[in-house]
Amino acid sequence: MTIYTCENTFEAMMTCIYDAWASKEGHQNIRLKAEPVGDMELFCEYRPIHPDAEKAKKVIRSIQRKLSSTAYLMVYRCAMSEHPDKLDRIYRFLLLGFAYPDKITDMLQHPYVSAVFELSRNVMNESHIFREIVRFQALPDGVLVAHIEPKANILTLLYPCFDDRMPSENWIIIDDTRSIAAIHPADQDTYLTALTADELERLKHTEDMTDPFIDMWKSFFHHIEITERKNPSCQRTHLPLWYRKHMTEFLD
Amino acid sequence: MELYNTALSLQEKLEILSDAAKYDVACTSSGVDRRGKKGSLGNSCAAGICHSFAGDGRCISLLKILQSNDCIYNCKYCLSRSDNDCRRATFTPEEICTLVIEFYKRNYIEGLFLSSAVYKNPIHTMELIYQTLSLLRNKYHFNGYIHVKAIPHAPDELLEQIGYLADRMSINLELPTAEGLSALAPQKTRSSILTPMRRMQQRISGYRLAIGKSATMERHQGNKYLAHSIFTDAVYIGDASAHTNSCNSAASPLDVYGHPDRPFAPAGQSTQMIIGATGETDFEILSTTQALYQNFDLKRVFYSAYIPLNEDAMLPAIGTPPPLLREHRLYQADWLLRYYGFHASELLTPDRPNFNLALDPKCDWALRHLEQFPVEVARADYSMLMRVPGIGTKSALRILKARRLGPLSFDSIRKMGVVLKRAQYFITCNGKMHIPIRLDENFITRQLTATDARKNYMIAGSDGIYEQLSLF
Repeated sequence: MTIYTCENTFEAMMTCIYDAWASKEGHQNIRLKAEPVGDMELFCEYRPIHPDAEKAKKVIRSIQRKLSSTAYLMVYRCAMSEHPDKLDRIYRFLLLGFAYPDKITDMLQHPYVSAVFELSRNVMNESHIFREIVRFQALPDGVLVAHIEPKANILTLLYPCFDDRMPSENWIIIDDTRSIAAIHPADQDTYLTALTADELERLKHTEDMTDPFIDMWKSFFHHIEITERKNPSCQRTHLPLWYRKHMTEFLD
Repeated sequence: MELYNTALSLQEKLEILSDAAKYDVACTSSGVDRRGKKGSLGNSCAAGICHSFAGDGRCISLLKILQSNDCIYNCKYCLSRSDNDCRRATFTPEEICTLVIEFYKRNYIEGLFLSSAVYKNPIHTMELIYQTLSLLRNKYHFNGYIHVKAIPHAPDELLEQIGYLADRMSINLELPTAEGLSALAPQKTRSSILTPMRRMQQRISGYRLAIGKSATMERHQGNKYLAHSIFTDAVYIGDASAHTNSCNSAASPLDVYGHPDRPFAPAGQSTQMIIGATGETDFEILSTTQALYQNFDLKRVFYSAYIPLNEDAMLPAIGTPPPLLREHRLYQADWLLRYYGFHASELLTPDRPNFNLALDPKCDWALRHLEQFPVEVARADYSMLMRVPGIGTKSALRILKARRLGPLSFDSIRKMGVVLKRAQYFITCNGKMHIPIRLDENFITRQLTATDARKNYMIAGSDGIYEQLSLF
């Protein structure tokens, strides 16, 4: 059993798929795993794959052309999750997909398809939730800064919504756990960047800044509640406690 | 009174006017898709975005405020009625604009929900509202969602001007029957509510026809697969030709409607009814709801459980718990009308006018019509699949697409989103049921309600069905 491993970035995962396919070892004899690998198994050979832009582009192009853009989106979203088996699931899905190119996204009764669909749905739901709960802080010079701590890697799925919503504002969304940020200067395209440790440290302090509108929002939030209908467990069903970490109305 | 107003800070005004607005439950940002523009702030998403959830469990998506709570009317159920002694405040249009823009930038809200008490007179109030919206759209370039409430007795020309600035307009029906309305809110006559509703409906559909869309609002796409939903039987009242009577027939419809670059209330109309203040049955309320969808082409009808705030001989006493479960059943029934192809007469009848509190309306219907079950998932059509408890719009469409490509099993339909805990009593898969059961109404009812014994005890206890035995 050969296990192909790669970094947890999309480009590396696509290269891994390319190399695993091209190795001609037989699809039953290989498995794919994105890092972190965790406990290693006995009697398995581990082969790390290095990312290669050309190979990744070839894989992406062939998914988009031979399968469909829906299938590509399913694969991309599944790749953004943090499940340990996501890469192997994508690999099996693509194998099946090249056999049934136009039907694959509808064949939800097939275990390979439903495995990828489940992860892709989780990632999409989480990205929709963060679109709702992201809270920006206005710095004195007018830049808006937001911190998020998502479970899956949803930053690339999240920032296009804000591109459309605030095209003429300067804003930054920072993923604290992965130290990456999406930066949007006013009226320009958004770009992604990795943050160094002390940049992250400096930016963490934005959440301690006060603002009259924060107090107004908190008071609005408390006054809009009808006390005769108070229901904390209903509120918790909609807003689990881990969402509230960076939401202004729940901080102190 | 003017001195009192200017002494209040923005935060104090916000507290007073959001406190007064909270009983208006219509607060979604749904119904229209609009992309953002450079130079403007905001966009709109048809699904509706819920930015937060208040302590009572309701979603917060818009900045829900009143322009003023200084009311000259005296409706018995309202906290802001003129007889009540409470703090009064009025926002200036600039203050509302500042709040909306700053909250929107921080991603707290999707837009503005603006209602008002009748301040001085209906015309003055609507003019203030118009100034707020006009500033927001034109000076501050706000491109997000605006839901505005019309006041009863509102003048027609102002409603028209405001409709071009708002995304959704609504006027509250308050009470389902004319008798109820005249008893509790005598200054709001039924015609003062229905006339603006009719005018707005005619304008909305006139504008839609002028730009080449259908006359009635878009509904959920599943409705086109349902042969007999409430929308197929809809009575379309108010042809656009009724409008052009007073206009030059050679003029193009866009000239008639002015503002060719702005749509007229693209997210449609909605309304709200109070549940539990007067003695209407669920059947009367649901029939009114269906009539509103069919005759006035409303997008949504909202229900607000009555919460006693004022002492009055005609209203339930202060301290009466609000009828939350009844409100919940009405919302479930409302969804059945709009998405699942049910009619009000199928769910309730005059001899059974109120909902079963222990079971939701869909399960209740299924148990009364067991001759239609079990449904074979591999062969049933969309409308029959939608009638199975536990199968909703998404799962039904996934089943339809997947079953052409291979056999289904209970495990695979569970992964597609079917709630097997409820559906297993009503469906077969490849001819077999999930567990061997008798298709018997009492047996299935016990199974469906047994899982939540504690909840059922609480429901039964609140109605007085079960009482503590007194042995001495």
